[in-house]
Amino acid sequence: MNLKQIRYIIDESMLMLKRRRGANIISIIIMGLSLLILVIFLLVTINIAGVISQASEELRVYVYLDDGVPKGISRDIQFRLLGMKGVEEVIYISRQEALSSFSQTLGEDSDILEALEKNPLPDAYRVKVKSDYIKGEFFEGVAQQVEEWEGVEEVRYGRRWFERGEKLVKGFYLTDLFLGLIIFLSGVFVISNTVRLTILHRQRAIDVMKLVGATNAYIQVPFVIEGALQGIVASLLATGLLAVLYVFTSRYIAGISFLRIEAILVFVTFCALLGALGSYTAMRRFLKI
Amino acid sequence: MQDQRLIVGVYHLSKSFGKYFALKDINLQVANGEFVFLVGPSGAGKSTLLRLIYMDDFPTSGQVVVGSFVSTTMKRNTIPLLRRKVGIIFQDFRLLEDRTVFENIALAMKVTGVGIGEIKRQVTDILTRVGLYHKRYDFPPTLSGGEQQRVAIARAVANRPAVLLADEPTGNLDPVVTRNILELLFKINAGGTAVLMATHDLDLVRSFGQRIIYLENGQIVRDREMIYVGDLREKIAESKVSRKAERLREHDITGEQER
Repeated sequence: MNLKQIRYIIDESMLMLKRRRGANIISIIIMGLSLLILVIFLLVTINIAGVISQASEELRVYVYLDDGVPKGISRDIQFRLLGMKGVEEVIYISRQEALSSFSQTLGEDSDILEALEKNPLPDAYRVKVKSDYIKGEFFEGVAQQVEEWEGVEEVRYGRRWFERGEKLVKGFYLTDLFLGLIIFLSGVFVISNTVRLTILHRQRAIDVMKLVGATNAYIQVPFVIEGALQGIVASLLATGLLAVLYVFTSRYIAGISFLRIEAILVFVTFCALLGALGSYTAMRRFLKI
Repeated sequence: MQDQRLIVGVYHLSKSFGKYFALKDINLQVANGEFVFLVGPSGAGKSTLLRLIYMDDFPTSGQVVVGSFVSTTMKRNTIPLLRRKVGIIFQDFRLLEDRTVFENIALAMKVTGVGIGEIKRQVTDILTRVGLYHKRYDFPPTLSGGEQQRVAIARAVANRPAVLLADEPTGNLDPVVTRNILELLFKINAGGTAVLMATHDLDLVRSFGQRIIYLENGQIVRDREMIYVGDLREKIAESKVSRKAERLREHDITGEQER
């Protein structure tokens, strides 16, 4: 293959795109709409996952100390907590701090606290757990272990959350994965099939090219380029429509996030490859190679 | 060692589709510069034979030799090179409908990788010869059947092939246009290109005095002597062909058969 042929192949691709604009637009719309379902699904998943992880990030283990525990033992507890696997940060909350934050929470009703003779709240450690360790069993294990320690009165964590929430989240992710897989596969199917139909429609032209002595590469490359471009434009179309939907819904639901630019780039690249690959495999059949 | 004077050689060729034999033990040779009619009813195996010659398909047994290409030993990826040495035309023209006349012909040259200047020169020249230069920017669907076939012929000869295969090239055309196309094929043949034309219409070709191979049920039932180039030149000098063509040109559409 010489330079001239490469140039002709590029000309060929451009010509094909120019002359077949109508058919290309239809293919792109079909692909774009099926990809739109995929990106809507992705966006919803990302936002729900964001809410879940934010909620679980805020989970803390509270280690309440015995009343009047000596400073040495208290310090000891702090160090032991810090030395535990999966613990990210241990913050001391004195009973005074706890009370003032409690009264803040009560707001206008905080005057009822004035009725108290003395602060009923204990000193405590608030333990933040590394995100990888946010699991029911881990919290449970920590709680059981730490409750045995000298100077610890009680360990509390969002047991309720784990009892119900964790199952719910697991269920959500499983369903989500399953649905996602179906939508993803149908997207892949629609793209490769649309590209295949394009080629089926062009079989006559392919036969003519073969007849006049075009090499397989000469015939194939323009179609592969066309497939890739269809994939790119269709994915951009889907992303654009998603952006419109996003702007619209974010008026009603506050705090939802859009796909990150990296994710969009990956998505577009993936669709380009899918289009090219669909085109390439379909061509292989026609060219009998 | 092959006979250098031959452009197409078919030896003990058979082709079967399942149990059905489309061609049985075919032997035929076409010399450089020869004009051969391949005549037989529909289903006799003419198209199959031509397809095996331009190697769109391969024989069940036997061998096809076209120039230096041998069906039994050649690699599949050299088929495009063979196609550039063989011009092919069909009843249904097989033009790209979304390309102009010029682009259709240029395509055949572009695939070989020749320069754009050479392509422009050659396409212009051929289009002038087939009388369609003024239609170079038209798209095939806007042309008449005869014009489309002339474009197809122009495309087929763009790379100056050694042989032109024609599969019922006049099947879709009226008698006057049919004669025009035949004349054009004779003209191309006179330029030195061998022509192998398949047709079911014996009456059409009987009058020209060319070699006729009769094909029936996948077998050659009659073949007149092969004519080597030397003889052919003589024949052209005798201008039997050109006289015939001349007379045809004057002939009107009475549908009368010449004997």
